[in-house]
Amino acid sequence: MKKTIYIFNDGQLKRKGNTLYFESEEQKKYLPVEDVGELMVFGEVSLNKKFLEFASQKEIIIHYFSYYGYYMGSFYPREHLNSGHMILKQAEHYLDEEERIRIARQFVSGAARNIRQVLRYYNNRVGGISETLNRVDEVIMSLDDCHDISRLMAAEGNIRDRYYRVFDIITRNPDFPFEERSRRPPRNHLNTLISFGNSLMYTIVLSEIYRTHLDPRIGYLHATNFRRFSLNLDLAEIFKPIIVDRVIFSVLGKKMITVNDFEEEGEGIMMKDRARKTFVQELDAKLKTTIKHKGIGRPVSYRRIIRLELYKLEKHLIGEKFYEPFIAQW
Amino acid sequence: MPDNEINVGGTLIWYYYVCKREVWLMGRQITADQDDTNVILGRFFAEQSYGREKKEIAFGHMKFDVVRKDRHGLVVAEVKKSSKHIKSAKMQLAFYLWELSQKGIKARGELLFPKEKRRELVELTDELIDNLLEAKRDILRIIYDSIPPEAEKKQICRNCAYAEFCWS
Ligand code: SF4
Repeated sequence: MKKTIYIFNDGQLKRKGNTLYFESEEQKKYLPVEDVGELMVFGEVSLNKKFLEFASQKEIIIHYFSYYGYYMGSFYPREHLNSGHMILKQAEHYLDEEERIRIARQFVSGAARNIRQVLRYYNNRVGGISETLNRVDEVIMSLDDCHDISRLMAAEGNIRDRYYRVFDIITRNPDFPFEERSRRPPRNHLNTLISFGNSLMYTIVLSEIYRTHLDPRIGYLHATNFRRFSLNLDLAEIFKPIIVDRVIFSVLGKKMITVNDFEEEGEGIMMKDRARKTFVQELDAKLKTTIKHKGIGRPVSYRRIIRLELYKLEKHLIGEKFYEPFIAQW
Repeated sequence: MPDNEINVGGTLIWYYYVCKREVWLMGRQITADQDDTNVILGRFFAEQSYGREKKEIAFGHMKFDVVRKDRHGLVVAEVKKSSKHIKSAKMQLAFYLWELSQKGIKARGELLFPKEKRRELVELTDELIDNLLEAKRDILRIIYDSIPPEAEKKQICRNCAYAEFCWS
């Protein structure tokens, strides 16, 4: 499996022969191009057109994050897998309101049912969550009655609200109270962690979409806006609770990240590099964890599960098999 | 399926005898996973053998490894790594022989499996031609079908780059 390379230092990216080369004040590093799947750039990095051409030729995506750790954008090389048939089907399912809702509903249902698994796990461990669990169950049951996107979005918002409100019970860390969801900029430590994790998730799903025949600009739950990526936001919903949130609970539980790893910046709170590094390491480890897959017949990593999810969506679009989201078993 | 002309070539004939589902997927340009180890290995060996300047002889879009003449006429030969997909290889070669015959070139075929010290002769009989034309029709039928033939788990799925697509 190709690697995700995270660049935190400031420096220069260059092409050197058949390798990628990163040079900063502290280090000089060669990265064999065949091993690299994507680059996540956090530092102040300069690169030239020759480098982009090389990355493009080798089908490497480059994701950029701002100084504050926000996702800025991606260098998404020219599509290398193209199937006219798939694109037509993808657009057809977007344009047909019924079909669009059917897919969007599966994304919301997947997200909700994975949230439920996380809640169930913590309810068994620390208790005090059963009330929320019941409410989440009720909303899940009501999803079939949501016949337009806005009601679906409202249901999902409702679940998320209830879910976040029990984060304090789950983390049991008074330094990281949830308070309320704040995004740009996140106004407390926990929100900063959530935003950071979510943006990583969006880029990872985007990278996986690049390796399929799907067009990332056509989403179903998140309205298609042909200038921006949205399909990755849809799919990420399913994985955020079981990947990002679990990493958050784990780094806080093990005190791998503490309040000292943050600093105030203007209106918001931002993570220091050390915390970001810790977080991406834990996330990477999570994505490499394998679980058994019945159909494939061997263990597959979470990262691969994301790809399989896209394949399932493709099979739905070509009319082969109704898409059912991945639900974690615990 | 868009109504541009579909050219059933040797590659599709090959896949037809390996897996019919693969024919549909290939026909719709739903290409297999490029990260798959077998695909990577295949690409690697293709590059390697170009490096050694394999003597290939091209006829239009067909490429043969060896062409020779004996007292009965022209023989085109294909070198294969193993006889695992012998049926596919045989039909693909027969297809090329048929295409050559359409151009007025009569030839016989030979499949060589040097590792297994094995050789298989392919002669274009009427029966073989019938089979080929039937396969061609069936390939078009498959591709024009709006959904792919259902996946069936078989031995070759294990090494197929579509496996994760089919079994996800
Ligand atoms: S995995 Fe099996 S069913 Fe699917 S295309 Fe390959 S050989 Fe055919």
